[in-house]
Amino acid sequence: MSEAVGGGPETGAEPVSAVRPFLLTEGRVVGEEQALPMETQLVATPEALAQLAQPHLAFERRAIIETCRVPVSLAELAARLGLHLNVVRVLVGDLHTRRMLTVHVPRAAGSSDLDILRRVIDGLRAIHTSGGPGHG
Amino acid sequence: MAFAQSTRPADPAMADAGATTTAPRPPQPVKMVVSGGFGVGKTTAIASVSEIEPLTTEAAITEVAAGIDDVSMTPRKTTTTVAMDFGCLTLDPTLKLYIFGTPGQDRFGFMWKDVTAGALGALVVVDSRRLDDCFPAVDYFERDGTPFAIAVNAFDGVLSHSLPAVRSALDVAPEVPVVAFDARSGDSVRESLIVVLEHALTRARGF
Repeated sequence: MSEAVGGGPETGAEPVSAVRPFLLTEGRVVGEEQALPMETQLVATPEALAQLAQPHLAFERRAIIETCRVPVSLAELAARLGLHLNVVRVLVGDLHTRRMLTVHVPRAAGSSDLDILRRVIDGLRAIHTSGGPGHG
Repeated sequence: MAFAQSTRPADPAMADAGATTTAPRPPQPVKMVVSGGFGVGKTTAIASVSEIEPLTTEAAITEVAAGIDDVSMTPRKTTTTVAMDFGCLTLDPTLKLYIFGTPGQDRFGFMWKDVTAGALGALVVVDSRRLDDCFPAVDYFERDGTPFAIAVNAFDGVLSHSLPAVRSALDVAPEVPVVAFDARSGDSVRESLIVVLEHALTRARGF
């Protein structure tokens, strides 16, 4: 997605229909308090994968399950499917309720979690000293 | 509402352990934020450290985030969409770092809570020729308590103002790190992220 590197959010917002994306969710939205963090990890359950063979699954739901064969973040899922983040939040909620997705919410401690801070520092240092993955 | 309390268990590590025993175990996700003004090099910085090509996710309008129940009934509301770039970096099989860019414009401040909630820290990228552009980011992180560092992007390897001059102009607290970096260099961006995390660590120990 070279477009993202070149322009990305810097290109600004474009007007879109406020209604259309939410047809998928039948008009439902997720309130701020219930919103899953964007880095939440999602994995399809074996039950969901078994249902992929059946024709009754709606396209978007099928696409979500396909994408979540391996652990995927909520943000990644939205980006790959080209759906609004909050639309995906609603659809993921539905699939979770139907036990088709497992939802792994990140720890809430964030910047006060000493153990995590140390592990991330060590992880970044390890990449640095090994010469890095070769990015510019 | 679709998300019942069951999606937020008391111990997130145990989230949905009962739903399946054979699905792949995801890594623990952690998050950092790259912020700053328009066109200052945020996306370049994310691309420099990400193991994937940065992805763009479209976030919905503010009214939706605020929990209005039926979008179709609020035609007078703003109908903008806003794109956020992000990348990720697998630190080990159990730990994955996500790096989110905040939307470039001030008027999308409403999205910042979504981006910054639970973040380990933030890197505020600064173009020293346009210092004013980073004030909204600095103000935001000072207010919400996210640990942050200032990274002055050296365009073409040259800083147009010295770091002490930038610090003085931004008037940030003495403990806030101010460093020079090159958004195009993975090593440089990683070092800057480490500066943020060490600052967070110092603060977390002190509180």
